[in-house]
Amino acid sequence: MKTGDEMKIIREVSNQAEYFYADAVKLGNHAAHALKASHRSQMTSLETIAESTLKTSDVLDYVKKQTARFPYWRQGFPQHSKPDEGFGERLKNYLEGELAKRRDSICSTRLGIGDKTEADQQERRRIHLLLMRQFIRQMVVQYEYEVSTGSKKRES
Amino acid sequence: MLSTEQMRKLSLLSDTVLYPEAVAFIGRLVREERCSPLPTSQVMGLLNVAYASRYTELHEFVKHQRDRNWPESRSDIKLFYTELEKFLTAMQKRRLRDEFHLVEGAPNTSGGRQEVDELMASLAHDFIQHLVAENSVLAATQADEKAKERANRRR
Repeated sequence: MKTGDEMKIIREVSNQAEYFYADAVKLGNHAAHALKASHRSQMTSLETIAESTLKTSDVLDYVKKQTARFPYWRQGFPQHSKPDEGFGERLKNYLEGELAKRRDSICSTRLGIGDKTEADQQERRRIHLLLMRQFIRQMVVQYEYEVSTGSKKRES
Repeated sequence: MLSTEQMRKLSLLSDTVLYPEAVAFIGRLVREERCSPLPTSQVMGLLNVAYASRYTELHEFVKHQRDRNWPESRSDIKLFYTELEKFLTAMQKRRLRDEFHLVEGAPNTSGGRQEVDELMASLAHDFIQHLVAENSVLAATQADEKAKERANRRR
């Protein structure tokens, strides 16, 4: 991988982060509603896994395990267009579906990365993981903001 | 000891092949074969063996579970292990070389057999990890649906 190519990838991932920021805020608000401040460690763990793993499937497996284990990960959000859709399912669908679409779009139209050779597939997988990390970072920041301002509002 | 190239390829396979196949595997058993998701005790047992054992031991465990004399009420578990054994055998006999192109060493040597064992352990471990994650979501969803039904009946 040449330095110029790597810079292009970083720039494209940053651009995408601008586009999906509004979605990350929505998911962060859903997380705050479902997990409250008391389950903050679960958001931190999700971020840690996303930052440390080299596999997108590790992140998806973690989301599934938490969704199965804790009822609050399955809690809906009244302000969501599908109010019964649980937080975990919504997050998994976004990471798996929407971000994969964005990866395919930037790879084929902006970065000229195909999907036939193994090297291309590895690169697409890495870009998907970079998008996931970026999205989760934004979502966790919004979650932190929402639980802290939410508790301040309640106090006042 | 697997090479860096093999490890990279294994990660790619885990994300692009094993993950969707594990989701489809357990989904087919639950939705088409009308099986219950695997109970927690079985999940924990399978995961422990997958994490701790060599592939030959994991394969023996799966065969042992398949061949146990399960009562009729637990025939779902027998079917699960029957299908898992078929999946793993096909992977070792055919897909490892012909589809995944993972084997670097010469076959029928002790080094070659060890390489296959290590590759299969990694592939089986990841497949089972994905399987267990999907299974847990299906089990929780079913439990929520049953709880909702009970609550509706009480009204």
